Order: sequence, then structure tokens, then C-alpha cells
Amino acid sequence: MIRNPYMPQEAEILKIFQETDINYTFRLKTDLKVKSGQFLEVSIPRIGEAPISVSDFGDGYLDLTIRKVGRVTQALHNLQPGDKFFIRGPYGNGFPIDKLKDRRLIVAAGGTGLAPVKSLINQYYNDSLEIKSLQLLAGFKSPGDILFSSELEKWSKKFPVEITVDRGSENWKGRVGLVTKLVADLDISEVENTMVIVVGPPLMMKFTTQEFVKKKISIGNIYLSFERKMSCGIGKCGHCKIDDTYVCLEGPVFEYSKAIQLLD
Amino acid sequence: MSVDTKKLVKNAYRVTKERYLTALRVRVPGGHLDTKQMTLISRIADRYGRGEVHITTRQGFEIPGIPMSRMEEVNREITPLLDALQKTTGIDLKVTFEGYPAAGTRNVSACIGNRVCPFANYDTTRLAQDIEGIIYPNDFHVKIAVSGCPNDCIKAHMQDVGILGQVEPLYDSKRCIGCKACVDNCRKRVTGALKFHNFTVQRDHEKCTGCGECILKCPTAAWTRGEKYYSVVIMGRTGKKNPRLAAPFLRWVARDVVLKICENLYSYIDKHIDRSLPKEHVGNIVDRTGYPVFRDEVLQNVDLGERAMVAKHINFGGYEYHSNASF
Amino acid sequence: MGYKIYREKFADLFHELRASYEIYAPVTKKDKGMYSDTDLITYDKVESFTEIVFDKKTFFSPKEIVFPIRQTLFYFTEDSVLEPTKLEKDIVIFARACDINSFRSLDAIFLQNGPYEDPYYKKLRQRVKFILLPCDGFENCYCACLGTNITDNYSAYVDVRDDAVYCKVKDAYWKGLWSKYGEESEVEPRYVSKNENTFEIPQKINNSIFEHQMWSEYTNRCTGCGRCTVVCPTCTCFTVHDIRYDDNSKYGERRRVWASCQIDGFTEMAGGHGYRHKQGERTRFRVLHKISDFKKRFGFQMCVGCGRCEDACQEYISLKNCIHKISEIMAEEEKV
Ligand SMILES: Cc1cc2nc3c(=O)[nH]c(=O)nc-3n(C[C@H](O)[C@H](O)[C@H](O)COP(=O)(O)OP(=O)(O)OC[C@H]3O[C@@H](n4cnc5c(N)ncnc54)[C@H](O)[C@@H]3O)c2cc1C
Ligand code: SF4
Ligand code: SF4
Ligand code: SF4
Ligand code: FES
Repeated sequence: MIRNPYMPQEAEILKIFQETDINYTFRLKTDLKVKSGQFLEVSIPRIGEAPISVSDFGDGYLDLTIRKVGRVTQALHNLQPGDKFFIRGPYGNGFPIDKLKDRRLIVAAGGTGLAPVKSLINQYYNDSLEIKSLQLLAGFKSPGDILFSSELEKWSKKFPVEITVDRGSENWKGRVGLVTKLVADLDISEVENTMVIVVGPPLMMKFTTQEFVKKKISIGNIYLSFERKMSCGIGKCGHCKIDDTYVCLEGPVFEYSKAIQLLD
Repeated sequence: MSVDTKKLVKNAYRVTKERYLTALRVRVPGGHLDTKQMTLISRIADRYGRGEVHITTRQGFEIPGIPMSRMEEVNREITPLLDALQKTTGIDLKVTFEGYPAAGTRNVSACIGNRVCPFANYDTTRLAQDIEGIIYPNDFHVKIAVSGCPNDCIKAHMQDVGILGQVEPLYDSKRCIGCKACVDNCRKRVTGALKFHNFTVQRDHEKCTGCGECILKCPTAAWTRGEKYYSVVIMGRTGKKNPRLAAPFLRWVARDVVLKICENLYSYIDKHIDRSLPKEHVGNIVDRTGYPVFRDEVLQNVDLGERAMVAKHINFGGYEYHSNASF
Repeated sequence: MGYKIYREKFADLFHELRASYEIYAPVTKKDKGMYSDTDLITYDKVESFTEIVFDKKTFFSPKEIVFPIRQTLFYFTEDSVLEPTKLEKDIVIFARACDINSFRSLDAIFLQNGPYEDPYYKKLRQRVKFILLPCDGFENCYCACLGTNITDNYSAYVDVRDDAVYCKVKDAYWKGLWSKYGEESEVEPRYVSKNENTFEIPQKINNSIFEHQMWSEYTNRCTGCGRCTVVCPTCTCFTVHDIRYDDNSKYGERRRVWASCQIDGFTEMAGGHGYRHKQGERTRFRVLHKISDFKKRFGFQMCVGCGRCEDACQEYISLKNCIHKISEIMAEEEKV
């Protein structure tokens, strides 16, 4: 009998955290070993499967932060702690932890893009990521879309966290504008020793990256996490292919020098 | 010069506005003929006429400018046309050197059909010729046209009897990739008979016109051709009194049903025609007898088959010239 | 070992073969062509030797035998996930060299790409034996340019000529069967050595091709119907769907179904994001996959030059013509 990589495993929901109106974080009971930046194929039988990044993990659990946009994500949002759903994976390469070692790191995240980098940031917060410094730039559509508010609060006590929203509201006292603006305003001290991770919607990634390049960050020091339609996660279905590269296999995290070669 | 105009007309000539000149009407069932016949037609036009040929709306040829005195010669010369007519339609004309034996029943016209057109659901030329074989020669004034698909390029809806090709599309869900090309096309171009549910296409037979476009759209041959069927529309007409489009009479009937009702139509006319008039158009007869009489007589001894649908009643509509409602 | 077997005898041999195998071969499906009164030449299960069509190219390829258009991955009951377990006979496929070679491309994706083998593909694939058919080439083929005109991957070779079938048997297991019905004879497979169309596939395709205006022509011409990909013996893309049965919503299945990079929705994600919206971009993606991207990963061309994509395209879009254009553009760039 060949092992069936499409066969999902059942996992129990330990806890659900509501982040925003449409983003919930599900804490699952599992011993699966995962790396920051990897993703799982999550499914509910008879509804469907969807690739979801691991937003955090720890002893005996992992977190998935899921935005309600369609069939599967809607059905997931209807579940309660104690319910179960199915997972398979982890898939993809994850962030290059070894390359970050002893460097200064800037993370620029747009919207749900904060989810895949959350575990990395938490590792730094918990002193288990060996980097010299961390700076987080996060952009959201509106104050109501801000994810992981308590974490952001907690993190900002330890390292610089800049938050901006596209559209403010009456009670919003923070910044209004795009993440690109935050980057433009940055004063990067050790350009050669700085690594950058950019995660978010396609346009946000495109312009934010260009902004970092303007700041003289080498294209070999910038990492992006791609999002593509995926039906298998294991290099068979072809949906995620760009040229000769499969995002589910060689990605989703790509060095920018490689990413600019991936033409669509 | 003494000319029996009734005889002349029956012989497929015409009384024209030019005295002593006539025009010959050449039958071309299905609008299809070979180049030998074309050459002969042009030779006759050169030799007896003005070197001109007119193409009629019924897909025949009309050769104008023929002196009435030369009709006999012309009739002898068109013998190959009548021989060819016998051959393609299976009619036995007995003599073929005396010109056409009748002109009342008009040439059966057809769109180009599946010998060329991708949309056509059958060989329209063949059906037109077979119908001609059953109804010709005949003096009753009847217009029949056959169309390859419900697009009705031949305007079968303007005929006494219009025949439209249908096909029953067969769906094999195992071959369907769910591209929805069939569903979108049916919604945009046809009747919206297809629905996509649970990654499978569902067809509403009530709405389906049997045009077969889903089969043409499907990249994987999940839709394939099932049985051929025909729908029949009746009593469309132009004219000075009450022009109207033909109304649906039968749907989902087989080819032999089509042939049989064409045959029965002539018995019906024979039984009900008002012989006190110089001629009576079949549409007017139906107006007089009413649709149910027409239906019952035309469908007599016809095995309609399981799929067939027969119109329960028909409201022909159209407009009356004397009703000035729109003005 | 070669054999000459009279037709009637071969029918008996075939009958015996059929007892142990499911046999697939090119057949004529009467009146099943897209247009009325036309036939469809395609692969199907055959019961008798006489059903096989030897002189025509099939419209669809044999890939659907091992990679069904729709394939159930799991059945769901209220509380379990079950794999389909249908035990079938081994499979014999009558195929020409290009089609046998196309399985090499399928194998690369399903068995080699990524860390896992695809178990559904493998289950069917490992049961397959090929019977090679001779080929004299057809319109639009260019196998000889790709070297896919020849193969060694067959158990037997069968060439029907006049009253006899000339065979070569490589599979030791089958030799007994063949020798029972025929006399020994010297037989070597007949391959196409030169197609009507000969050209070279460019070895190096620069990234400049992505921006080239040559693709805009396809934006105007291609309708995105996907025929070129569904008929291709080497296209492997699929999408996975879950189904909830209408008659019992507690039951359902997860299945995969062929997908096409030419059809809308291939890259579309929740949120409305997508890539390659223009048909020209999709054509570029398909063509480069066939003649360049795949090769970068696996070392050989994905396309086997069967010409089916061109046969099937209703807009008369020709892959060979497109490759030719790429070659010219690359040659032009070399010069500069
Ligand atoms: C590597 C990777 C990591 C990912 N990580 C995460 C993650 O951590 N968290 C997360 O929430 N998502 C993540 N996604 C995205 C997630 O996979 C999709 O949101 C999910 O597949 C949607 O599935 P669904 O069945 O709910 O939607 P479907 O029902 O499949 O999609 C609905 C369809 O409707 C349309 N649609 C849906 N939503 C919208 C919208 N908002 N606007 C316009 N049209 C819309 C789209 O055309 C879409 O095809 C990730 C994707 C990838 C590839
Ligand atoms: S066109 Fe064919 S493959 Fe596409 S949805 Fe219709 S039946 Fe299915
Ligand atoms: S791309 Fe065209 S020629 Fe090449 S294998 Fe596919 S169908 Fe055949
Ligand atoms: S078959 Fe032709 S029209 Fe259809 S998607 Fe392919 S190239 Fe475009
Ligand atoms: S997700 Fe299927 S190949 Fe990458």
C-alpha cells in the first residue's frame, strides 16, 4: 500500500480566538511539526479543502488564522471548540531561519499576511530566534481589520511595531496610509546586514518590495511569501506553477532575486 | 398567338408583364445542384432567354425572357434537369421531356445543412429531396422548408410547414470538467436549459430546444449526440392579409414522422380545399377547419414515438393589415 | 521475438489476452463526433480485435485511462473517510510511440514532482502494459523532431497488414501466448522517421519572450475553450472538489477533475485575485510549459509532438507555428 498524501488527519479545535469580524484563529490539538511560513491543507469533508498558513505553533498545538471568504472558510467559521476538522501537511519551504541569523530583520505585512509571519515574530519575542533586531510594519484596511491586537500591543513593548490603516475611523489615533509609506519613511541603519520579509496581497507586496529596493536593500536579502490557487499542495495539480517553479514545493517563500524571475 | 395560361403555369412557366415572353422556374430541392445542371441552366438562359438567371427566394432559378413559342424546345432541353430531379428525389415522373408536370407545390428549400454547417443537426439537402419525393408533382399550393437547427437560417418559420433539426444531447458526467462552457452558452444564446449543480450539469428537457450547441461547446465530449429529432412549425406566411410566423406544432419527432405528415397534409388539403376558388392556400384551409381537425388528420396513422410533443392548441397570431392598431 | 499470425488466429489470441486484461485501443464511436453524422476516433475499452482502428489518430489521448477526467479521491460517510478500492484487471493499451512516450511526461509529474508519488495515478499506471502500433505519421505531427517517434517501452508490437498480423514480443511473460498462435518471423517496429513538419525546438528561450508582442495575437484568436489541453496526452492539471450528495447530505466525496490553464478560473483565488487574464498570457504559459519549463525540471520535453492540440483547436491555433515564431524571435535576438 502506497502512503496516500491526500489523506487528511482529523484534528480537534482547542480554542477559537476572534481577531476581527471575519478573521478567527483556530488552535488545533496536534503534534505535527511545522516551520514558520509553511501551510496546511485544511478541509471539511463534503465542503472542500483550502491551503492555510500556520500562524503559530507550540507544544501539542498549532494555530490557523482564517479569513472567511468562501465555502470552506465559511464552514470553518461555524465550528466550535471541541469540533474537529481535517488537516494534511505541512507543505512548502517556510522562512529561511538560518539566513536570518544575527541579522537585522524588518517584517512588512499587509492584512492577513501577518498570519504566516506571526510565529516567526513570536519566536523572536520569546528569545528563540537568533536575530539582532526586529522591526514590524503592519498595514490593515481599517482599524476593524487589525489582527492579533493583543500580540501587537505586547510586541511593541519589546521592539518597534508600526501600524497603519488605509482608512481611519473616528477613534483611530494611529497612522493612516499604505505600508509602502511606512517603508519610505524608514531610516535603515545597516543596509547590508538587514533582511526583509514582505507578506500580503499581491499589489502590496509588489510596491512594498520596490520601496525596500529603493532603500538599497539587496534583492537577495528580501523574502516574499506568495499566494496562489492551490488544489494539492504537493506538486501535482499545476495550479500554483509559475514558469518552472511550483509555489507549493519551492515556495511559498521566495527570495526576491528569484521572485522577480517568476513571470506571469 | 393562343396560349393556355393555366397549362403554362402548371408547366412551371409564368405569365409575365411582357407579352409573349415567359419565365421558366427550375426546381432545386434543398437548394443543391451539381455544376452540370448549373451549366445547362445557363445555356438555356443564353439560348432562349436574355442570358440572365434570377435566384428565387425558394432557392430555385427563374430564367426570364423566354418566348412562349419556344417552350416546347426548352422543355426538351431541360430533360436532364428532370432526370436529375427523379434521381435525387426518387420521384417517377413518367415523362421527362415535356417540362415540369406541376408547379403548385413549391420547391422545398433548405439551409446548407450538415454537409457544411457545424450547427446543423442533419443532412437538410437529403431531407428536402426526400420530402420533394413524397409531395411532388402536386398542384396544391404548399411551401415547405427545412432547417438544420433551431437557428432557422432558411426561415422555416415563414412556411406552411417548417422543419427544424433537433438532437437529443447526452451527458456523461464522468467526462465533464465543469468548465461551464455549455451552461454559459445555453444561457446566453439559447434558452438557459442547462444548470450547474454540485459540479454537474443538469438539463431541463422542457426548456431544451435540441439545438446541440452544448455538444459543440464541450471540450471533452461529455455532451455527445443522441438520437436525431425534428420539430415542426406550421402555417407561417407572408401575404397581403394576415402575415404571421409559423407556430410550433410538433417537437421531438423522428424523421419518418416528418415525411408521413407531409404526405398526410395533402390528403387533408384534398379533403377540405374550397374548389370553387381558383386556388386556396393551405393556411386559409386551416383557418377554416380549425387546428384540431388539421392535427387529427395530419397525425392519422402516424406513430409519433415516446418523446413527441404535440401542440394542444395554436394561436397563430400575426397581424391583420386592416387593423391599424400600431399607427 | 517476431511472429506472423493470421488475422483469425490473432482474434483468438486477442480473446485470450482479454481474459486477463482490460484492453484499451483506438476505436471509432459512430456518430459521436462533435458535428452531426461524424464519428469520434478515441480510446476506449475494446472487446474484440476488429474494433480497433489502426489507421487514424485518436482525438483524445490515452491519458484518461490512468488519469480519469473525474476521479474520486475519498468517499465520505457520516464519520469516516474511505479510499475507493476497486480491484481491476491489469491494463493493456494499444498505442503509437508518441503516446507511449507521453506517459513519461505523466510519470514525471505524478510520480516524481515533489516529495510524494500520486497514489491514484500509480495504482493504475503500474498495471499498464503497452502494445506498440506502427505509425506513418499524421497531419500536424512532429514527433521525429522530439525523438518521441521511437520507444523501447512496450511489451509487444503489432502491425496488421493484409491477412496477417506481424508482431514482436518483448515481454517474456507473453511469448508463450504469441508462439501458440503464430509462426516465427523477423519483425521490427516501423516508426516515422521524418514528419511532414520538421523544425527545431529552440534550446534556449530567454525571458524576453514573456514581454514579446507575439502573444497578443493569441489574445485575439484564442477563445479559452481548453480543447488543446484536454486532448493533450501530457497535460496533467486538475482541481479538487468536494461533493455533498443531494439524496443524503451526510455522504459525499472528494474528487479531482481535469483543469486547464486556458480556461477561466485556473489561477483565481478567493478575494478575486488571479493571474494571466489574457488568453495570450495563457497560451504563453501553456506553450512554454510544453517546450521549456518542464524540461528545466525533468531534462526532457513534455510535449511529444502528437499534434492533437492543433487538430482540436477550432481557431486553427497551431503549436508548431507558435514554436516556429519563438525560434525566429530567439534567433533574431542572438544576432543582435
Ligand atoms: C500558501 C497559502 C496560504 C494561505 N494562508 C491563508 C491564511 O493563513 N489564512 C487565510 O484566511 N487564507 C489563507 N490563504 C487563502 C485561502 O487558501 C483561501 O482564502 C481559501 O482557499 C478560500 O477557500 P474557500 O473555500 O473558503 O473559498 P472558495 O469558495 O473556494 O472561494 C470563493 C470564490 O469566490 C470568490 N471570492 C471569495 N472571496 C472573495 C472576496 N473576498 N472577494 C471577491 N471574490 C471572492 C473567489 O473567486 C473564489 O474563487 C492561503 C492561501 C495560500 C495559497
Ligand atoms: S462544456 Fe462539457 S466539460 Fe464543460 S461544463 Fe459543459 S459538459 Fe462539462
Ligand atoms: S502540446 Fe500538443 S503536440 Fe505536444 S503533446 Fe500536447 S497535444 Fe501533443
Ligand atoms: S484549443 Fe485553441 S481556442 Fe481553445 S484554448 Fe486552446 S488554443 Fe485557445
Ligand atoms: S498546489 Fe498543486 S501543484 Fe502546487
